Amino acid sequence: MTFEKKRANTSPGIPTASMPDIIFMLLLFFMVATTLREQDIFVKFTLPEAKAIEKIENKRLVSYLYVGKSGRIQIDDNIVQLKDIQNIMYKKRVALPPLIVSLRVDKSAKMGEVTDIQQALRKADALRINYSARRKE
Amino acid sequence: MLIKKKNRQGGEFSTASMADITFLLLLFFLVSTNIDVDTGIGLALPQYVPPEEQNFAPISKDRLAAISVNSNGDVLLNKKIIAIPQIKENLTGRIRSKIDLPKKKKLVVSIKTDRQTNYDLYIRTLDQVKGAFFEVRDEYALNHWGKKTHSSDQLTKEQMQELKDKIPIIISIAEPEQINK
Repeated sequence: MTFEKKRANTSPGIPTASMPDIIFMLLLFFMVATTLREQDIFVKFTLPEAKAIEKIENKRLVSYLYVGKSGRIQIDDNIVQLKDIQNIMYKKRVALPPLIVSLRVDKSAKMGEVTDIQQALRKADALRINYSARRKE
Repeated sequence: MLIKKKNRQGGEFSTASMADITFLLLLFFLVSTNIDVDTGIGLALPQYVPPEEQNFAPISKDRLAAISVNSNGDVLLNKKIIAIPQIKENLTGRIRSKIDLPKKKKLVVSIKTDRQTNYDLYIRTLDQVKGAFFEVRDEYALNHWGKKTHSSDQLTKEQMQELKDKIPIIISIAEPEQINK
């Protein structure tokens, strides 16, 4: 008996016609997952480390408040004064009731300042806060 | 003169570069996405009450764990000096003993700091307290349902609610004291 080698009738080569579709799918995923919120940070800070930390589930609810080494406070794209925090946060809170304020405070900061900020947040009724911290290994 | 209509061959445009274009877009979104998740210690602040309306509800001693951190970095737990890494051990026992008590008898942890206290110390203390609560919750979940709380998608809503009822995390940030100027 003789064996004949089977040969495919079609020409070899991978069809690339569906490539754009696949990439579009990837693209869509990233477009949906992206939150375009790149802020310039004017203050210098190093976050403290902690073990018992949670992830913030919904990033769109988060508003950041930075406190730098020098004690300057930044909200969004501006350096603000302590007395302005209440107003700014109140407006944010009204616009978005389930607001979470993420406090990104330098680890060498003093508690006095943090307490003042917390008091301002309480007056603005922005009660959900989150002390930003890095995971300790 | 006779103008001849050009004979066009099938009205198609090449889609070969489509992939390249989409790759470019994809790259842009890849670069601009920040995947890194925000992590931190969550806390709910108490509602603001003007100083003149504040009334201090007394809390019985057996359900209160009062932690104070002073400006030198000394930590007191119920008026006894303690090292920060020991807070967790100290609290887990007390939280565990109160699992089956009614809601009004659960442990309340109060943290008090000085204005000059270092923020890092405060976070380390808070971390220990949270860690203690999480550990007891983990134990409870493991004993009852054989699951850990970290895989929260595995716990059903009722189970999560039971955990919250049995081991509520009550952390009280002490009201800042008025300084008489």
